[in-house]
Amino acid sequence: MVLELRSIQKCFGGVQALRSGDLRVAAGEVHLLLGENGAGKSTLMKIVAGMQSAESGEIFWKGQPVRFRNPAEAQRAGIGMVHQESLLAPHLSVAENIYLGREPRRGLGWVDRARAVRDAARLIEEHRFPLRAEQLVGSLSPAGRQMVEICRAVAQGASLLIFDEPTSSLSDAESQEVFRIVRGLRDRGASVIYITHRMEELRQLGGRVTVLRDGETVFTGAMAEVSTPELSRHMVGRSVETIYRREPLAPGREMLRVEKLCRRGVLHDVSLTLRAGEIVGLAGLIGAGRTELCRCLFGVDRADAGSVHVEGRAVRIRSPRDAVRAGLALIPEDRQKDGLAAGLPVRDNVLMAAMQQVSRLGFLDSARVRALVGPGGDQRAGQLSGGNQQKVVIRKWVLSGAKVVLFDEPARGIDVGAKVDVFAAMDKMARDGAAVLMVSSELTELMQVADRILVMRHGRIAAELPRGATQEEIMRHAALESLP
Amino acid sequence: MMQRLLPFFTLIALFVGLSVASPHFLTTANLGSVIRQTAVLNIMALGMTMIIIAGGIDLSVGAILALSGLLGCMLMTSGYPTWMGLCGGVLVGAACGLANGVMTAKLRINPFIVTLGTMGIYRGIALILSGGLGVHSLPKSFSYLGEGSVLGIPFVLLVLLVCGAAVHILLEHTRMGRYAFAIGSNPDAAFYAGIPVAFHTSAIYAAGGLLAGLAGMIEASRLMTGQPTAGQGYELQAIAAVVIGGGSLRGGAGSVVGTLIGAFIMGLLSNGSDLLGISPYVQQALIGAVIILAVLLDELRKRNAGNGGGLLHR
Repeated sequence: MVLELRSIQKCFGGVQALRSGDLRVAAGEVHLLLGENGAGKSTLMKIVAGMQSAESGEIFWKGQPVRFRNPAEAQRAGIGMVHQESLLAPHLSVAENIYLGREPRRGLGWVDRARAVRDAARLIEEHRFPLRAEQLVGSLSPAGRQMVEICRAVAQGASLLIFDEPTSSLSDAESQEVFRIVRGLRDRGASVIYITHRMEELRQLGGRVTVLRDGETVFTGAMAEVSTPELSRHMVGRSVETIYRREPLAPGREMLRVEKLCRRGVLHDVSLTLRAGEIVGLAGLIGAGRTELCRCLFGVDRADAGSVHVEGRAVRIRSPRDAVRAGLALIPEDRQKDGLAAGLPVRDNVLMAAMQQVSRLGFLDSARVRALVGPGGDQRAGQLSGGNQQKVVIRKWVLSGAKVVLFDEPARGIDVGAKVDVFAAMDKMARDGAAVLMVSSELTELMQVADRILVMRHGRIAAELPRGATQEEIMRHAALESLP
Repeated sequence: MMQRLLPFFTLIALFVGLSVASPHFLTTANLGSVIRQTAVLNIMALGMTMIIIAGGIDLSVGAILALSGLLGCMLMTSGYPTWMGLCGGVLVGAACGLANGVMTAKLRINPFIVTLGTMGIYRGIALILSGGLGVHSLPKSFSYLGEGSVLGIPFVLLVLLVCGAAVHILLEHTRMGRYAFAIGSNPDAAFYAGIPVAFHTSAIYAAGGLLAGLAGMIEASRLMTGQPTAGQGYELQAIAAVVIGGGSLRGGAGSVVGTLIGAFIMGLLSNGSDLLGISPYVQQALIGAVIILAVLLDELRKRNAGNGGGLLHR
């Protein structure tokens, strides 16, 4: 065993994050780590990577008992980590980020930037990352930043790499790239610990699997010998419907009509219609223009041409404020950055777009606030789990009475149980008469939830597919001509 | 909970400690003078509380205090009635604050830079208009604002209580106040929620300027002079009061009660040092240490609660 963890325990302010974390990883194996949000996966891995210290338990690294006091110690020992949330310096280039803290030098402390760029370029070339060494990290999409993280860990030449949900923000095509890199690392004899929420990834990667539940290791075994429902049962502790299936509604009147929407270099002649009671999926590769379409419809970015009608009335949307007034809502891709005021109580978050309804002449009516928010309004939004945070963001738009709701990757990074709740909330909004547009990079999600699926490619709507379309059909339209 | 109340207990402890240590502390005259001295700081700090909650900062409030005090006094000496001079001064403050807010919100310049600039501009205007000299021979009635009493209670205390209540209600019970918290906590989320961010940001800076203008009139009334050099360094004291009272320079946190306690802690430290014969040099260092200590304790509390402790936690 390269790495062995025995009964690791860790508390955060009275909350027991880990009760008994056990894990054994062999040399040259891909080891999958599963568990719901809050099960303690990330905490356990942060302890291995020296970012946090265990309260009790033992860690053996290559047979020796160890205790890393900081990430640098773990890195020197050969443990690298790819983080879930990007830990990069946005104002520095890709190359500088890759070699941050380990800059190639010339002596007298002089940093050899040219060599850093050369080395990074070689690495990018070798692994075929969609990056350029001199690009600023701040200019990259979340997917691009994730790639830099992976690149950095690979560059460290670690013998154990920990991937904390590297593909949660990537499209299927890009996930395949990650898997290719993971397999490449394994074939060179490195060990990989891989945390994921996506069931379909497991089979592709193989290896062994460990399941954590409520801070305890509840299962370890070979991936080939365990079924998916069995794994779900270990994760949740009870049997869950692994597949959500929405009962489609007969679509009602037209809620949103978009005609020939253009934004130079991003969107080309995008036309679509959404009807009341409908959930329309929007598929496509990263960069196909799905998020850009949402941002444009919601007034975050301006359209150059085209028209938008809400409930048959032409509207001009030049800011999110105009959009909200017209009855639109956006559940943004990056919940933490654009959706949630994490430091404020739930109450302020859910009322953010519905203040008019609970105030008179600018003064809040506390009785109406209480009635609308219900119990639990005092809790800080940042303390909630990812799934519950998303529910808060959704509730904000339920309370605002939005008629056209744009969901951009609504189920990203949240666990199975919460996903079903999010889909149910979408369904409820549709049933109450709203029209829903749902962007997702997970095709299975779209196939479970959407009534029909629009596929975007290079800023255009490339196809419209009915409910029941297969994964292959969607991918064919999404990826056509886009391969280099 | 214990640590959340720490500023309050510190204030009580200071009060009790000074009562025991000095026979001159617990007298009507001394307490009245503490209140009068801290009222100016307190009222400025109330405005600063709103601005800091909304994720901003205003370094120009000291200069606004001087400019509005000066212009208010100039109105009075050029024959306008006292009340008009008073209102004029306060409005000048609001206008200065509004200019700060518009530049911050509409032109998207960092508020630290904007107000660092206007700090110089407003002070410069005050010096140019006055030729560097104070405005004297103000109407006698004007002194009532800073020095008058109602049933033995300093009038400024009543002004402060009214302002404090107004700001508290604004922050906690109006749409504008809750928007200030939202904007300070996450401006992107506020923008995405359709909140008119620029409008509210401008309005909050204007309100902060208005309170600085009022503080300027009180200062002028106490000195019976409109001084173009008044209020230098007050902006930092106001920021310190907000921070001691639990405000966060990252925005989204702060309260009227906390700020008032913070301002009174600084007032008592300064008054107590005078009474105990501690040199003003030591006083400065003492107050500096208190500011760092207060923020440190607040950080520790947050880290213990398991959140806001930076990247390496959770």
